[in-house]
Amino acid sequence: MKTMLTIQTSLKRWRIPLLLLFSTFYFIPSGWANAQEESFVRLDFKNVPITKVLAEIERQTDYSFTYNKKQIASIRVEKVVFRSEPLKNVLSFLEKTANLDFVVVNKLIGVKVKAINAPKSTNVPIPKVNTIPTPDVEVSGSVADDKTGEPLVGVSISVKQSGNGTYSDAEGKFKILVPGVESTILVFSYVGYETVELNFSRNQSLDVKMKESALRLNEAVVIGYGEQSRSRVTGAVSKIDGTELNKYAGTSFEQQMTGRIAGVQINQASGQPGKDAQVIVRGIGTLTAGNKPLIVVDGFPLSEGTPFSSINPQDIASIDILKDAASATIYGSRAANGVIIITTRKGKMGAPKFELDVFSGFQARGDNVKFVDAYDAATFFTEARDWGYVSKNPSKRKESDDAATRLANGASKRELRLNYLQPYLDRQAGLTNTNWLDEVFRTAPMSSYNLAVSGGSEKTTYYISANYFDQEGIVVGSDLERYSGSINIRSNFSKRMEFGLNLNPSYMSQNFIKDDGNWSNDPVATATIMYPFFAPYKADGTLAISEQIQANLAEDGALSENPLALMARLKNKRYSFRTFGNSFLKLELLPKLSYKILLGGDYRSTFEDEYVPGDVGEYRIPAPKPARSTEYNGIRNNYLLEHTLTYAQKFGKHNLDLLAGYTFQKELGNQTSITGQGIPDDNITNIAGASTYSVSPSRYIWTQISYLGRAQYAYDGKYLLSVALRRDGSSRFGAESKWGVFPSVSAGWLLNKEGFLSDSKLITYAKLRGSWGKTGNNQIGSFSSQALVRGSDYVFGNQLGAGFAVATSPNPNLSWETNTSYNFGLDLALWDKLTISANYYHSITSDLLLNVPVPEQSGFSSSLQNIGEIQNTGVELELAGKGIRLGQFTLEPFGNITTNKNEVLALAPGQTQIITGQGSAFRTRVGGPIAELYGYKVIGVFKTAEEIKSRPVLPGTLTGDYIIEDVNGDGAITTADRTGFGTYNPKFIFGFGTNLAYKNFELSLVFNGVEGRTVHTFDQAYITEVGEGFGVPTQNYFDNRYHPVNNPDGFYAQPNLGNFSAARRDSRASSIYFVNGDFVRLRTAQLSYTLPKAALSKLHLSNLRLYATGNNLFTITNFTNFNPEATTSDSVLTSGYSRGDYPIAKSLIFGIRANF
Amino acid sequence: MKKTLYLALFATLVMTACTDELFQVPITDKESSNFFKSEVEIEEAVNGVYSTLQFTGLYNLYIPALGEISSDDAFDEVPANDNGIYGELDEFTTVTSNALITRTWKDSYIGIQYANTVLNRIEGISFTTPATKNARIGEMQFIRALLYFNLVRLFGDVPLVIEETKNPNDFFGKGRTPLDQVYQQIISDLTNAIANLPVSTTQQGRVIKTAAQALLGKVLLTRKDYNGAKTQLQAVVSSGKHSLLAKPEEIFSISNENNAEIIFSVQFASGINGNTEGSAAHQQFSPSGTVSGAKGHNLPSKQLVALYAANDLRKNAYVGTTSIGTPFSKKLVKPTTSPADGASNFVVLRYADVLLMLAEVENELNNTSSAATYLNQVRKRAGLADATASNQADLRTAIELERRLEFIGEGHRWFDLLRYGKAVEVMNEWFKSVGKLITINSNRLLMPIPQGQIDTDPAIKQNPGY
Repeated sequence: MKTMLTIQTSLKRWRIPLLLLFSTFYFIPSGWANAQEESFVRLDFKNVPITKVLAEIERQTDYSFTYNKKQIASIRVEKVVFRSEPLKNVLSFLEKTANLDFVVVNKLIGVKVKAINAPKSTNVPIPKVNTIPTPDVEVSGSVADDKTGEPLVGVSISVKQSGNGTYSDAEGKFKILVPGVESTILVFSYVGYETVELNFSRNQSLDVKMKESALRLNEAVVIGYGEQSRSRVTGAVSKIDGTELNKYAGTSFEQQMTGRIAGVQINQASGQPGKDAQVIVRGIGTLTAGNKPLIVVDGFPLSEGTPFSSINPQDIASIDILKDAASATIYGSRAANGVIIITTRKGKMGAPKFELDVFSGFQARGDNVKFVDAYDAATFFTEARDWGYVSKNPSKRKESDDAATRLANGASKRELRLNYLQPYLDRQAGLTNTNWLDEVFRTAPMSSYNLAVSGGSEKTTYYISANYFDQEGIVVGSDLERYSGSINIRSNFSKRMEFGLNLNPSYMSQNFIKDDGNWSNDPVATATIMYPFFAPYKADGTLAISEQIQANLAEDGALSENPLALMARLKNKRYSFRTFGNSFLKLELLPKLSYKILLGGDYRSTFEDEYVPGDVGEYRIPAPKPARSTEYNGIRNNYLLEHTLTYAQKFGKHNLDLLAGYTFQKELGNQTSITGQGIPDDNITNIAGASTYSVSPSRYIWTQISYLGRAQYAYDGKYLLSVALRRDGSSRFGAESKWGVFPSVSAGWLLNKEGFLSDSKLITYAKLRGSWGKTGNNQIGSFSSQALVRGSDYVFGNQLGAGFAVATSPNPNLSWETNTSYNFGLDLALWDKLTISANYYHSITSDLLLNVPVPEQSGFSSSLQNIGEIQNTGVELELAGKGIRLGQFTLEPFGNITTNKNEVLALAPGQTQIITGQGSAFRTRVGGPIAELYGYKVIGVFKTAEEIKSRPVLPGTLTGDYIIEDVNGDGAITTADRTGFGTYNPKFIFGFGTNLAYKNFELSLVFNGVEGRTVHTFDQAYITEVGEGFGVPTQNYFDNRYHPVNNPDGFYAQPNLGNFSAARRDSRASSIYFVNGDFVRLRTAQLSYTLPKAALSKLHLSNLRLYATGNNLFTITNFTNFNPEATTSDSVLTSGYSRGDYPIAKSLIFGIRANF
Repeated sequence: MKKTLYLALFATLVMTACTDELFQVPITDKESSNFFKSEVEIEEAVNGVYSTLQFTGLYNLYIPALGEISSDDAFDEVPANDNGIYGELDEFTTVTSNALITRTWKDSYIGIQYANTVLNRIEGISFTTPATKNARIGEMQFIRALLYFNLVRLFGDVPLVIEETKNPNDFFGKGRTPLDQVYQQIISDLTNAIANLPVSTTQQGRVIKTAAQALLGKVLLTRKDYNGAKTQLQAVVSSGKHSLLAKPEEIFSISNENNAEIIFSVQFASGINGNTEGSAAHQQFSPSGTVSGAKGHNLPSKQLVALYAANDLRKNAYVGTTSIGTPFSKKLVKPTTSPADGASNFVVLRYADVLLMLAEVENELNNTSSAATYLNQVRKRAGLADATASNQADLRTAIELERRLEFIGEGHRWFDLLRYGKAVEVMNEWFKSVGKLITINSNRLLMPIPQGQIDTDPAIKQNPGY
């Protein structure tokens, strides 16, 4: 297809750019094959036979000539000198000077001595045939897109009967010579467009409108180190376009992918601007190693944990996801969690085109959590304190005892009523009644300005963009500003040499909150212990500080600082600058054999500035208190050197593509964290104000060396076979196990090309696929195989004695996890309107990088080992309809559903389960799923002492506590009665929606959901629904709590503060706090209007689109906390446990996109 | 073709040049295979072992609490605070997942393993002064014995490990070692330590010979080997190294740490090393409202404070009272900077303890007059007259009371109750007297083995009653 010529000059000539490449810092790229270049020729002859010239052209191109040697042998060329000239110009020159006619048929050029008076062709590619025909009639015309009216370049136009053909030029124009027969049919075909067949009459001018093909079966899919036509893909690869993604207005691309792709689960655990969502491709296949997929941008594999938000989603042209091992093998030891390949936008030849996209809108809370008001809260706290007091000795103690009596009876402080609640209990009107959730949440603006310009000449194309994105968070104290750009340049230095440069700089400035559930810095968590009896502001309008801490001292409840004061005073800024990119040089060494060298780099610097002032308190500590400050500096450098050779050959019906490569990647990181204390005042709000410092430096390096190879073979476009292999060596792994090999094989069969389907109107496309492959997971940190000796100092007298001790256990055999998987798939297209893609996958991760809990008498709590096995199985189904018309409406519905089931097949020898997490609420056991919620089964609330006596109970059980089922029936409630209650990993996830077009209007809807998920949140189990009269309860708890008098039918345990029993504490890990997290959400609803052509021309615009977008407008769920997607995303073993919830916002955005 | 060759050559160069890159060593951490190679590094490792004593699960917070809070001499002001980890001990509702127990188990074994490692690696290292090497060996043996002594008193049978860990997997399926065997190891370690340790050191806070003797005396007393205990304790007395300070308030003054009365204390210092060398005990063990972040865990009981005679000098020296009458121990000095960075050392062994143990030993050996002599030394310093008790039983009661008054807040009472064998009786009586509906049986005298350890390795069996 693509033709590049061998450089015909001396070595010197190409060595110069190559040296340049190595002496400068180079950045990444990919798709060298994005444009179909023409052949260029270099000639320098004087007075030679024409045959010699033709032979040289044959040598330099993959065209060949056919001629009658006798006819032309005597023709000589006096002088022909071209320096990298397009072939068509060369032929045209020879036509004139040598009086020849050239007729191009595919790669064959017929040569004959020019007939007198024959019409001249200025167009090359011209006619075609097996035998060179006599040009008869010239037909000319143009081809354009039926919607936009833009000319289509490079459309193949051929005569059906003879096969003669040509291509449309840069203006969409063409001329074709057709044989002089009647009723000739012309076939217009173009990738991504529906083929047009036209009967034409002689001498007619043809203006053909082509319609974009609905199904895009031949679109290019990026498969890693290359591209492939979708119809040739044998693995499981999903693709989504940037235009579809950008219908979700968010910080980063992974949020936009939600619901769009089967097999990819996006869990947005936090709604804080800039916080990455968890992306899980085909289930979690690891327990304690990293679970992040590999992100590859324009061929450059970013290091793990790379923040997604530093990539401007508006620069993304498309995202391809390599889901099965066979596809991902080419990325070897980093591919086990799936590979996400991002292709950024590139320029196209033509005059500069500008695109301006501006949107702005606001976001608001999307959850339904409601806390009780001050009056109900007063009732609750009093109930809890009364029952705590009475339950310790009901025969002696009475609820009516006053404080003095209670103290005399030995009551602790938490058994006394709160002195300031009486007016609330008396229901006096007009008391302070603050809804703290309303205070910490806000309606927050978000806006984005994106300007892109692209264009180019025949030799050089460019795409340059600039973006400014500004988002405030819906929780006070959080926001993000991002300035980003993209520069993308492609240039053909010569026909044999292509150069590309890609740069993606970004700068982010964030005010971030540590949404970790800490009561001194997370406003949402703080709101759970901030009583409604206190106002955020004093009468004079200034922030109230430490009022609750002071007021509660005597009786000691939750001692919370006002979260608004915290957020106003605390400083937590993060500035990060990042630039990544690459450059490459591609050379055609021989016809069909290309060499490419690529240098990529990723530089990221992060600076964090935290200041906790003394004039605001924190949990339990009133202001003034000692201030403290932290500064963090981190720099990460990652670079990549990559050599690849590609070879593409067609012979007959055989089609072979080969790839071989070598890559070297290295990352260096260094971080310094400085904590300053001894800050006398709040004058300087950074570490400079401190008098004592502690510094913790940390540095790392990892390197990886890889060899890769791939062979793709197709026979007759029907039978497909692909084999790939990667060999990785990594510094992360133990001395004894540096290298691993990751092979794969896959095959496909295009059934629709077989006779029995070739005429089917129903099944227009059908492909069966099967694949097998191995991938690895290397995310274990840089030095995990080595036993580290870390500092642990002592003092003798007051003299510091530097101490060190072995902190981690060594493992010289530590190596990657190996994921072995197979995939069976079927792709169908029905009526040319509907595609169906189904996959079944099965994978086994063996040699799990397991941080195995070990008996602590070893001196270690856990040890990182390659032990254990996990199995993931699932089915994916994707449906997409294109171009479905219902009257005036055009419908593009889509839907996907994914099931995933994981099972632990083995853990460490002798180890049957891992129980971990707060309250030991998570179990991962052999034969069960990963991170099953684990605890007691609650079957009611004890209402009488007799009931407690009548059945086995946990020690210390009181009335008002939970009835625990004796699951094993042994007549006692022990830890053996704990059992499993489902997982965070849902049984299935789904997405569906449609684009609906009517005239110039388009409505896009995307829904997504999960089914079969269980979630455990700290808030509910420990504060808001536990009934310990410590924090503020939810309305849900309050309305359903048991109280013998006030609410005798309640099913939550009775409020109890002073005597909150051990049984109650144990029942925090129980079915009552394992909450169903299923939901269906309207992820995106976008209504857009494109101005009609007539109006556009007046405005001198080529396109103008107005849109309104609603994201997360509603969620249907029974989930009762802030965010059913919340999870501790880094710890697989406690998936579904969340502490600190930053809920996902719903947003309403208005935007405009103009092209000119 | 020529250029292809050049290119291939170039590519080969690039590829071969990089293979060494796959071997990277930690940059900001030391690595065990190239550590422990010199005297200096061994000294660092020894310091690392000492540092474990400062861990939360050991003498920073939990060992002092464990020695006290279950007893009648201390209580938790807000039992539910901090997930009830202290309150459960106070009220005998300890669950197997109690984080305090869990941490103490873990930190003890970290300390033991650090000591095992030094003992294993020190052999081949030559020291400039051989006596220093012996001293370090003795220090490690002492610390290992101390940690095991705590473990057996708290948990009963515990796994005994005295080798450096080569592979943590080796420990699966091994279960718990019988108590007697662990005690044998403790006694053997201490006996060796006594031989290895110097009489005194220039660096304050290091283990010296008398510390090992005093601890061995306590171990043997606990084992009811009264004659053996007497030998060791008398050796401490006759060493002349230690004496009672004249005034009780001088003992715990932070300007007078490591004084003549102190035999071994875990060192803490405030405001150095980024505030990492201080103790959080003052904050955690102070009544609410007295200091920032006070938690009121492990406060002396009012009933105990009421036992001080009016003229007992120790009452004001050792005990303070808040405005609402809540007592607290003055043995922990309020830090001037960060409240969790207390400067007070935690005293593990002091001379008064040796004297009262000797009194106990002599009394049990029926040498009542000798017992009374030791007892009266302590009483005299407190400004009290000689004890009036004359028979063995009365003296026993008098010595017990003296220990309660002398060691208030020092983490002895619960272990003393266990040693006397009357913890069940005393505690049930105590709960009755304060109107709490709690009764205990002998199953509650041992702490539960941390649930996590049983979950990890079912070969480790739980103590009965949990």
